[in-house]
Amino acid sequence: MEYVLETDQLGKRYGSRWAVRDCTLRLPAGRVAALVGPNGAGKSTLLHMAVGLLRPDAGAVRILGRSPYGDTEVLSEIGFVAQDTPLYRDFTAAELVTMGGKLNRRWDAALARTRLAQLGLPPDRPVGKLSGGQRAQVALALALAKRPSLLLLDEPVASLDPLARREFLQALMGSVAETGATVLLSSHILADLERTCDYVVVLSASQVRLAGPTDELATKYRQLIGARHDGGPIGGVAAVVRASHTDRQSTLLVRTDGPITDPTWTVRDVSLEDIILAYLADSDTRASHTEWGVPA
Amino acid sequence: MIWLTWRQHRKQALYTLAGLLALAAMIVPTGLAMRDTYADKGLPACFEGLKGGSLAPEASITCMRALDAFNDQYASLTFAGVLLLVLPLLVGLFWGAPLVARETEQGTHRLVWTQGVSRRHWALVKVGAVGGFTLAVATVYGLGTTWWMEPLTQTGLLSRFESGLFDMQGIAPIGYTLFAVALGVFAGTVWHKVLPAMGVALAGFAGLRIALTLLVRPRYMPAKVRTYPVEGSTGERGNLTGDWVLAKQVRNPDGTVAATNAEVACPPGVSGPGGSPCGSGLGLQAGAYNWQQYQPGDRFWLFQSIETGIFVALAVVLLYLAIRRVRRIA
Repeated sequence: MEYVLETDQLGKRYGSRWAVRDCTLRLPAGRVAALVGPNGAGKSTLLHMAVGLLRPDAGAVRILGRSPYGDTEVLSEIGFVAQDTPLYRDFTAAELVTMGGKLNRRWDAALARTRLAQLGLPPDRPVGKLSGGQRAQVALALALAKRPSLLLLDEPVASLDPLARREFLQALMGSVAETGATVLLSSHILADLERTCDYVVVLSASQVRLAGPTDELATKYRQLIGARHDGGPIGGVAAVVRASHTDRQSTLLVRTDGPITDPTWTVRDVSLEDIILAYLADSDTRASHTEWGVPA
Repeated sequence: MIWLTWRQHRKQALYTLAGLLALAAMIVPTGLAMRDTYADKGLPACFEGLKGGSLAPEASITCMRALDAFNDQYASLTFAGVLLLVLPLLVGLFWGAPLVARETEQGTHRLVWTQGVSRRHWALVKVGAVGGFTLAVATVYGLGTTWWMEPLTQTGLLSRFESGLFDMQGIAPIGYTLFAVALGVFAGTVWHKVLPAMGVALAGFAGLRIALTLLVRPRYMPAKVRTYPVEGSTGERGNLTGDWVLAKQVRNPDGTVAATNAEVACPPGVSGPGGSPCGSGLGLQAGAYNWQQYQPGDRFWLFQSIETGIFVALAVVLLYLAIRRVRRIA
């Protein structure tokens, strides 16, 4: 299988704190992947290393087999929409499209103009005077006009209202379907991702906790409810991701490696959101216990 | 890249040019008026005569009066001119500091550095364009001020070598401006916000300028010393040759200092009140002499070159470091 983005033991340190550590990840071509994690988990750092803004302190990141840091040829294969969709606020949308043409060897200005026209965006107003949703659309159009093989988006919808968010993601999905670009989209709004993504990477406390196609995850994970469980092995369960107990009852979120045959457990399907939350909650407390220096 | 640079800075460039025009609107009419007066009063001949010492005593006194009158009329302009000293700093603050810092402050570096142009290329074009533009502005400003100040600095009351006047004319402003811009750019690569970068550039520029002016500039070359007697001299019109007097004292014949920051001259045959010897009221002994340490006026351009060289060299180092740092910012 061809991987568009590969990281190998990737790490980045700010002072003594690792923002990303031991991150090994392979993103297959053609996927629309969600990069999920709480604030400060290292999502932006990972994306910045992938787009060559940051140089890794450990390990390596490769885009189409090449290191992106300081390599403008790789940069031309990556469309990047940074957090808060920064644009030169005194430029008009038309000027930004012109700018892209001056700064890139491959540039589909017609594509950007068509998109912006379809969205009804004014070409001659400074983008600083547009709404947040419109600015995000301009940023997306600029990224798409590079005709990239890989589209990286850093929290593109975080500051948008629900309607603008939906419109943005629809626009993104529509264009990805046309161009076949691979997408890595970071967000902490899980509901959006479930609709749009077919691959999930969960990043928490600077490490990758989970990575895989969403359809596969949905078949692998189950919720088990039954009498209070003492931690012994359960047939068909590969790992318990998260367990919560009351006096008499245990609720487990498990990764399965076969059918659950034990009739004492009630088996339920879980949503992608449940799985992600289970991983996030798990690593959250683990990290916090380490930070406070108390046993988990 | 050049399109982008122009698009980003065109407003700023227009404001700067408007500022230069406003400056010209002040400098050109007053400069022309000064020159007219200077020529009308026959001061060029006067000046040459005084300098050469070829004038008869009465003519020399008339001449000095005329020069003083000219100074009285226009010397106040130099105080307005001192305001021009801050121009290189302003250029540094508003052209240099935001160059990188505004990009990082608004996050647009993540937009522009992820296009198909390397950061080195980006930085070279930006710094080159802004540096070239400010160089042109500084040259016009520096040479314009030189032209403007010329009659005033010739009349002998003010030497163009004096601190303050030296700094606003000739080629030194070019060095200052380039340095201020470079310092601003560099500060912007270290402090990623515009205001802190401006603050650092302000403090760094002012600090270095003051330190260099007060402590280092007088020592670019070994100063010369001259002595002349109190009695029987008409005084040195050292300013006529544009000397920069660093220290003056009146000393007694045994070498003890009788007065500092002073100059005493009694024309031949003049005596103090009641027929006492000249200067006895100040405690001067017979045979007292004036002692002056100075940089000769003909070293002006040499000093200008040294000063400009120092600042240009610093600017080059700072820009080199800034461009290197740009490659590491995220």
